[in-house]
Amino acid sequence: MSDALKLLQEGLVKARAESSPQQILDLIPYSSFIGAEAKVEGAEVLYWLDRRPSNIGNPSLPAIHGGVIGGFLELSAAIEILYTLDVNEVPKVVDFSLDYLRPGRFKTIYANCTVLRQGRKLVNVSVTAWQDSPDTPIATARCHFLIT
Amino acid sequence: MNLRLAIFKPMLKIAMERTGHGAALGFQLTKVGRGEVEMTFPYKEEVIGNPVTGVVHGGVIVSLLDTCCGCAAITMLTSAAVTPTMDLRLDYMHPAQPHKPIYVAAKVYRDTSNVMFCRGSAWQDDPENPIAHCVATFMKVETPRISLTNIIRRRFNRLIKGDKAFEQEANK
Repeated sequence: MSDALKLLQEGLVKARAESSPQQILDLIPYSSFIGAEAKVEGAEVLYWLDRRPSNIGNPSLPAIHGGVIGGFLELSAAIEILYTLDVNEVPKVVDFSLDYLRPGRFKTIYANCTVLRQGRKLVNVSVTAWQDSPDTPIATARCHFLIT
Repeated sequence: MNLRLAIFKPMLKIAMERTGHGAALGFQLTKVGRGEVEMTFPYKEEVIGNPVTGVVHGGVIVSLLDTCCGCAAITMLTSAAVTPTMDLRLDYMHPAQPHKPIYVAAKVYRDTSNVMFCRGSAWQDDPENPIAHCVATFMKVETPRISLTNIIRRRFNRLIKGDKAFEQEANK
């Protein structure tokens, strides 16, 4: 087993034991690149992305980059799998389908995930993102991951 | 190439490569034609998604393809309009290899009065063997907000008020 894999798996065990999904995010460089954060809230994990200038897509609106919203949702789905399921390697994304419902304005984006189905090889996760209220989502995504 | 596109091309290049998330990612637009855009993304350690293998995060591929398809959609416009993404569907064919650039190309394959249909792919060694493929649809929304005078006005406002101007615009 490589050192990096060992480090990841130790991190996963620790994060689950301490109920801290943020520790898993800290293991993945991309999450600090966009600034994604997570915490346990009730029975769910809440993910959020504070606004920062490097996430702006359309400077003339200003709106959050659609790709950042997509990346954030895909990241949240992967963290949800690593945190809630007994999976010990970074899941491989197979496909990702994203519907943009409202423009992502220049403020914090929240997201939560639901694992719709977990098979032996495949996991289906649905993710919803919102800004003002969960009743007015800005985007929803559905993705498949291969797990080992 | 027509004159409109000749003027528009450097503007699009600057807007995409030097501002916001485009600047953070650090890609280059290598080709801008009517309905066809190509980009190159050099490998970066900041965007690793799998700390074990060093492969970039799928979110980067989402950003690259969304940007590339969006740019291709913008090049089709003939009036002051914005092109918000309606949906984006991505299939990951195989994982990207670390330490290698990613090439992205997108094309508008159908343009209607309200909606544009676009597809794109990302590859490393061989365009015939892509790492990801996507289809995306874009709306055409005409708006005076992006007319040149309004953009200049907002730029000026931000120059004076800094971060406060963003706050005002976000709350509008």
